[in-house]
Amino acid sequence: MSQEEKAMEAIKDALRALRKRHLLEEGAHAPAISALSRPIISQGSEWKEKTEKLETELQQCYKAQSRLSEQLVIEVAESRTSKAILQEKELLINDLQKELTQRREECTQIQEELEEKTKMVDVLIAENQEIRSQLEEMTGRVQKAESENKMLIDRWMLQKMQDAERLNEANDLYEEMLAKLKANGLETLARQQVDGIVRRNEDGTDHFVESTIPSTCGHRIHAHEGGCGSIIFEYNSGTLFTGGQDRAVKMWDTNSGALIKSLYGSLGNILDMAVTHDNKSVIAATSSNNLFVWDVSSGRVRHTLTGHTDKVCAVDVSKFSSRHVVSAAYDRTIKLWDLHKGYCTNTVLFTSNCNAICLSIDGLTVFSGHMDGNLRLWDIQTGKLLSEVAGHSSAVTSVSLSRNGNRILTSGRDNVHNVFDTRTLEICGTLRASGNRLASNWSRSCISPDDDYVAAGSADGTVHVWSLSKGNIVSILKEQTSPILCCSWSGIGKPLASADKNGYVCTWT
Amino acid sequence: MAKEAVKYVWEGAIPLQIHLHKSDVASHPAPPPALVLAPRIGYLPLLIPLIKPYFKDSLPPGEDSIWFDYKGFPLKWYIPTGVLFDLLCAEPERPWNLTIHFRGYPSNILIPCEGEDSVKWNFVNSLKEAQYIINGNCKNVMNMSQSDQEDLWTSVMNGDLDAYTRLSPKLKMGTVEDEFSRTTSLSSPQSQQVVAETDVAGQVKTARIPVRLYVRSINKDFENLEDVPEIDTWDDISYLNRPVEFLREEGKCFTLRDAIESLLPEFMGDRAQTSGEERSMDDTEEADGSRETGEIKLVRIQGIEMKLEIPFSWVVNNLMNPEFYLHISVLVKAPQR
Repeated sequence: MSQEEKAMEAIKDALRALRKRHLLEEGAHAPAISALSRPIISQGSEWKEKTEKLETELQQCYKAQSRLSEQLVIEVAESRTSKAILQEKELLINDLQKELTQRREECTQIQEELEEKTKMVDVLIAENQEIRSQLEEMTGRVQKAESENKMLIDRWMLQKMQDAERLNEANDLYEEMLAKLKANGLETLARQQVDGIVRRNEDGTDHFVESTIPSTCGHRIHAHEGGCGSIIFEYNSGTLFTGGQDRAVKMWDTNSGALIKSLYGSLGNILDMAVTHDNKSVIAATSSNNLFVWDVSSGRVRHTLTGHTDKVCAVDVSKFSSRHVVSAAYDRTIKLWDLHKGYCTNTVLFTSNCNAICLSIDGLTVFSGHMDGNLRLWDIQTGKLLSEVAGHSSAVTSVSLSRNGNRILTSGRDNVHNVFDTRTLEICGTLRASGNRLASNWSRSCISPDDDYVAAGSADGTVHVWSLSKGNIVSILKEQTSPILCCSWSGIGKPLASADKNGYVCTWT
Repeated sequence: MAKEAVKYVWEGAIPLQIHLHKSDVASHPAPPPALVLAPRIGYLPLLIPLIKPYFKDSLPPGEDSIWFDYKGFPLKWYIPTGVLFDLLCAEPERPWNLTIHFRGYPSNILIPCEGEDSVKWNFVNSLKEAQYIINGNCKNVMNMSQSDQEDLWTSVMNGDLDAYTRLSPKLKMGTVEDEFSRTTSLSSPQSQQVVAETDVAGQVKTARIPVRLYVRSINKDFENLEDVPEIDTWDDISYLNRPVEFLREEGKCFTLRDAIESLLPEFMGDRAQTSGEERSMDDTEEADGSRETGEIKLVRIQGIEMKLEIPFSWVVNNLMNPEFYLHISVLVKAPQR
């Protein structure tokens, strides 16, 4: 074999070997391996696809999650703010509720008050209406009363005029009567002088005694220490009672000038005295707001009349009953006392203080002289003012009744002495003297028992005596040096007694 | 017929049964072995993407450093798969059972492999070496554009012979004139062109052929290939990277035998008895001494054994690897010591 042929043979051998190898190796195994790997590959690709899909889904989910979390953050913030707001609102609601309950309470309270007020208003309206109706009634009544009053006043004026006419008539009659009386008087005088002895002893009749004009001093008695403010004679006797600043009441015999008795027990100055008609009792008005009633015979204090609230400056006892005592005090009252009962039975009030007091003859009327210069008349039983007369321009210091009760003498601080007629209250006479000045508010003057002479003491110690019928001074008695406080004329005509500030008492005959 | 041989070479693939080493098994039960077809002209690291899916569920946690071994013998990754198979499996084992490791890279035995890139650079370097040996310079490889390099490598990776045949002329590698290839390929006009080109490119009288020779020496004497003991150390393998001086003589054909003789003169007691009266004449001592110097038992190229009379030029043109290297696996009986 040539080399070439060998070579070709070798090449063919080699090729054959390659083919064989191919068959053994990849030819045999390739199909199996590819078959095995295909599902894996395909699975792999499947898995890859799945993972890719899942990854994209996951990305989307992440995106969605981030968005949601952002939203969540926002929502959470919002919810927090709304919670805070809610809490605030709740607090606010609580506060408002509290306020509301408060207001409700207030409202109910106010409603209640309102109801009360309306009720009250209703009641008031009703009352008002009633009152109005009453007012109408009253005005009607008032009108009626006014018309009645007018009518009554007219009537009263008519009556007064009628009374005045009657009085005029009476005066005319009285003058006629006087004229007649004078004419009769002369007759009776003649008769009396004839049977005077018989007539004199009769009680109850006027003890007509002729009074002499005093001119000479009989006795000069130092009656009291201090001043002697009040002297009074016993009825129809010459026994003289004196009361003084030394709180004692003394009883003197004016004929001899001797002290008969002394009556003690007064607690104050004796300012005024009165003697009962039966001469058994002495009543003294004192500055200790009391009145003392002594029993003359025993000398003991029978009564102490209390009730005045200021000093008692005047006292008088009824001549008629000797039971009724009237006293005037500086508390602007006049009190009426009953001696049997022992206490005040009536009290009269007035505006001006009374300085002097006097009971009428019948014991029913009280005459009082006041600081305003008026003389007033009071009814004892009712205590009512009967009439008043302006007697003096200044205070009245003394009121004394004449023996027959028709004339009343008032003395005033204007140094004028007036004599009034007790029935008509007209001035019968006015007495003056230049030297006559009244010493005090309680300077007492007196009328003589025959109702003709008036005696009054003056501040210079003199006593003036006037004649009423003539109207002039008949005598001036000078003895005492200190101011005369009191004069008193005995019931039997003589003597005249005068007391002064030093306590001396002079008797004049 | 030349094209046919090249086609068989490029389509050649070894069935591998890859077992996961038990130390790397982290799942229960252990995964079944993976069956893959490994191209003969390819490299083991390029198979990793195919193999890994089989085992990734069973791997313990951590970084992977992948290496292969055959019966405990770590495999060098820069040697083409076919060469490894021919060298290590005296009796071809089909499928070839390999074990894959993912951990414990034996850095003292194997150089590091960074995956496909390392293999690619190894390929390109070999290409440059080959061109230097053939042309005396490697400027053609250097001047090749990046994309062309990539495409060349991709065609090799994918086993795309058509793309390779399109791109390889750009390397302007001089080839050995081979009238045998020429005659066999008259039928195909394409290959005619190629041959014409090569003729134009370089028709050298004296050519240098890049050859990588792997000599496995076995201590024991054996008659049957099945009796070859297993290899346990790389020291038993000697690696020769020596070009073959191709002498073109008139009237004489440079055979494979001549090539091997030039590479392994000390083993020329091989088949001396079978052929080559020249040999027997030259040194009977050598023939006798073959029992002391060693005896070539086996020569494999691309998984086939052939008559040594085969013209070397045919061998070179048809059985070379894509990087223009011819890998020859030789099994020798080691000299008695």
